[in-house]
Amino acid sequence: MAVLGAIAVGLAFATGAYGLLAAVVGARRRLPPLVESSRTAAYSLLAMVVAANAALMLAILSNDFSIRYVAENSSLNTPVFFKVLSLWSAHEGSLLLWNLVLAGYLAAIAFRFRAKPPETLPWALAVMYAVSLFYLFLVMVLSRPFASIAEVPADGRGPLPLLQNHWLMAVHPPFLYLGYIGFSVPFAFAMASLITGQVSDWWVRITRRWTLVAWGFLTVGLTLGALWSYAVLGWGGYWAWDPVENVALLPWLTATAFLHTSMVQERRGMLKLVNLALAVTTFSLTTFGTFLTRAGVVASVHAFTKSLVGPAYLAFLLLVLAAGFGLVALRSQQLRSEGRFDSALARESALLGNAWVILTLAFIVLLGTIFPVLVETVSDRQVAVGAPYFNQVGKLPFLLLLVLMGVGPLLAWRRSSWVQLRVRAGMPAAAGAAVVVATVALGGRSWAAAATFGIAAFVLVANAGELGRVTSSFARSNRRPLLAAFPAAVTRNRRLVGALVVHSGVAVAACAIAASAFASQTEISLERGQQVGFQGYVLRYEGLKPQPEPQRMVLRAPVSLAQAGRSQGVMEPALNLYPAASEPIATPSIRYGPLTDLYLSVLGFDENGQRATFRVLLNPGVSWLWLGGAMMAFGGALAAWPPRHRPLPAEDLVRARSLVEVG
Amino acid sequence: MTGRLPWAGLALAAALLTAAASLAFAAISSSENSGTLEQRAHAVAATLKCPVCHDLSAADSPAPVAQQMRAQITEELRAGRTPDQIRADFVAAYGEWILLSPPQRGLGLLPWLAPGLLGVAGLALLAVTLRRWSRQHEADPTDSAAPELSAADRRLLDKALAAARGEVD
Amino acid sequence: MRVGWRRWTALAAVVVGVGLTALLLGSGLGHDPNRLPATLLGRPAPDFDLRAIDGGQRAHLAQLHGEVVILNFWASWCVACQTEEPALRDAFERYRDRGVTLLGVSFQDSATDARAYAASRRIPWMLLDDPGSRTGLAYGVSGLPETYFIARDGRVSYKAVGPVNQDLVNQQLRRLQAEGAA
Repeated sequence: MAVLGAIAVGLAFATGAYGLLAAVVGARRRLPPLVESSRTAAYSLLAMVVAANAALMLAILSNDFSIRYVAENSSLNTPVFFKVLSLWSAHEGSLLLWNLVLAGYLAAIAFRFRAKPPETLPWALAVMYAVSLFYLFLVMVLSRPFASIAEVPADGRGPLPLLQNHWLMAVHPPFLYLGYIGFSVPFAFAMASLITGQVSDWWVRITRRWTLVAWGFLTVGLTLGALWSYAVLGWGGYWAWDPVENVALLPWLTATAFLHTSMVQERRGMLKLVNLALAVTTFSLTTFGTFLTRAGVVASVHAFTKSLVGPAYLAFLLLVLAAGFGLVALRSQQLRSEGRFDSALARESALLGNAWVILTLAFIVLLGTIFPVLVETVSDRQVAVGAPYFNQVGKLPFLLLLVLMGVGPLLAWRRSSWVQLRVRAGMPAAAGAAVVVATVALGGRSWAAAATFGIAAFVLVANAGELGRVTSSFARSNRRPLLAAFPAAVTRNRRLVGALVVHSGVAVAACAIAASAFASQTEISLERGQQVGFQGYVLRYEGLKPQPEPQRMVLRAPVSLAQAGRSQGVMEPALNLYPAASEPIATPSIRYGPLTDLYLSVLGFDENGQRATFRVLLNPGVSWLWLGGAMMAFGGALAAWPPRHRPLPAEDLVRARSLVEVG
Repeated sequence: MTGRLPWAGLALAAALLTAAASLAFAAISSSENSGTLEQRAHAVAATLKCPVCHDLSAADSPAPVAQQMRAQITEELRAGRTPDQIRADFVAAYGEWILLSPPQRGLGLLPWLAPGLLGVAGLALLAVTLRRWSRQHEADPTDSAAPELSAADRRLLDKALAAARGEVD
Repeated sequence: MRVGWRRWTALAAVVVGVGLTALLLGSGLGHDPNRLPATLLGRPAPDFDLRAIDGGQRAHLAQLHGEVVILNFWASWCVACQTEEPALRDAFERYRDRGVTLLGVSFQDSATDARAYAASRRIPWMLLDDPGSRTGLAYGVSGLPETYFIARDGRVSYKAVGPVNQDLVNQQLRRLQAEGAA
């Protein structure tokens, strides 16, 4: 099995090398057959990488402990579900999965452009092949998943305890990879554009949908990560500003900026330089991110054990930065704007402003993440940068971004009028103001939370109003009743409606984040049978309930819950003892609710379980975060849904022709 | 309709002013110096890092060390020490890295000042670029002769062009 | 040539940027991100006055001025602490009459568990109870075991993170004893 896997990887590398060569030669010598051969080679590459992944999977499932990866990350006792997941739970295996996703995207490009390939396709393929070759090189030479172990053990060590605790492990990494790696597509086309000098609007049209898809996946991946932090790690929160979390957020931010500024290039032919730079930046950030995660530069909850790949990743990152930004600098003269900027009060400026705020936010996150490394390099001191910093510095830009999300859709392209804006924004602004006053009046003493609620209300009402306007104008022009026109209006204006849904999702998520200012918590030690009151709930510790399982010992601490005299059942937070872990892993018990979550975790036991120490939190609004994330993903999917190509009706064609003649 | 607008505008202005005033009111209280002892201790602990965790604050972390830190902070607050004094004690024992925010002196000023400076610089760059663009095509003859298309016509044209080009994306 | 100048500036900016990134991240590769600095090194050891876990004697650091003190933080639930026990036992036997005091301080441990552990392992040196682990926090203890070597003048001379072995203990004690003699 190991031999087959290693051969598959080697063949994949060879195929990739051929594909790269064929693409480059075919592009330079203008040999379409060679380009076509390079294109179809992508399918073979995918097949080989699938085979390699399948080989490792089979090895894990068949308990082949002669392979070091299997011995270190799986065991006889591991449930089958988590055995499957151990394919990507550790460094070498996750790199193999990385290669699979990359090969998948490469094959998808090959398939998508099989008919009428654009002129930039050969170079785009070449760039994708080059990236694939780097990651294949990693699994072939530096982090070999099929490396064998000297002494074959009778049983494996099993996955890390934290990674076999929860089903989320099944979905969080794949979605994250689908998003992260997907950004190599816009990068490839951007580079192709720069290399060929064809910096037209073509590449923006091509890559916008791909970027949106990757962005959507990354949104889901980030939301699942937050859910993991909340439901699995047991500390009561969903974002710890861990360096690896931060580097997953960075490309999401720049991709968001790109999705907005590319609209300006589509409509007006402007911002070409910005868009190319953003595509390069996003991919550079993903490379930087994977470098930070795996090279052992920062201490992190996610960091894979320090491996040999550090210098290789650094070299690759530097190459990407040099090639990408170098080409942008070289071609900067050709990237003159075609359009004219008519007025400051227009959607273009809102989109530009949006890009500016997002980039400021991204800079804050990047600086905060890299600052400890910087300080240690320069002065050999150590500092930490955590939540207090990010919250304090990021507050204003984030609020500004929210405002733009409400105002942007209300502005027309090219030129808008103040009257028009006031009419459209009046109601939303009033709603926002009312929410702010209400929040403070009801006792909310956090200005940032009140401001967030208010601006979120503004965004929701503004975007809903825009949706209403789109529906009513569609209903009028098609002479249909309003309600019946709604589904058709949505499907005909997918991009706009998708954007409105995404903005609303962000507003909802912002409310969730702001609501954490009103969380309350307490730490209490209870004897068996003793009860305590907290925020209207009554909790009683029922005694330790140990539950032995094949791979771990679970110590459950059932706590019966009552509210207003009525029993609400039993919550069972637990401590999981794994033989490999020096400290127990806590599993919290959470009562999810539309307005608040009751969160209970057990910190420790005393006197053989007669006494237990608990942490109880009442978290308002956390459910809105999941809702907001889902809305964002749904909105993105809606916007990305490809249009059905129907031929235009005859009278429309005539009218179009006449417009062109006049213009 | 125009007669109604001034009223609506005034009402809106009033609403916004009230909102701003409420925000100012809410901003005055800070939880490090107000609230119950437990809340104040939590606020102080939130500014200190849990020594054994990677990113969590002493307030959030379930680790035993963090539990002890929380207990100690509560004790010290009860004894009358200020949050700054408590933080200084921890820095003396563990080092600067126990603080979750970079210290605001020396190199530590960089993360506090840089975002603001860059934001302002970016805004300036934006303004300059926008001005340059609006001047760039001032004497563009074709542009001035272009007819103003209605939104519907523009969409129609886009669709027709897209259809003519074949599959665009 | 204004056009050329702009392009060259942009390229130069890219080169500088990439270079700085290389320097920063490259040197970052050389560091161990999990290493925590010991701020107390060379500084006076925080004072403590703690009772033994069996409720008998007390130990007051200030009164031990002039002696070398080995302060070992441990707990009954700490598995790694058991590996360093032989080294500590050896040091205790060898140096107890040569001006070296070995003290154990329990960290986040219940008194009953600590007593039971000490009795079952027959720990000969004094084990102190640290209510609330205040002393542990004062010394900046992040994990177990951690051992502090305190010189005769009361300054922290060395901090060992993780289990100590015999070589390390002997090395430190030889150094500290030589200091005092001179």
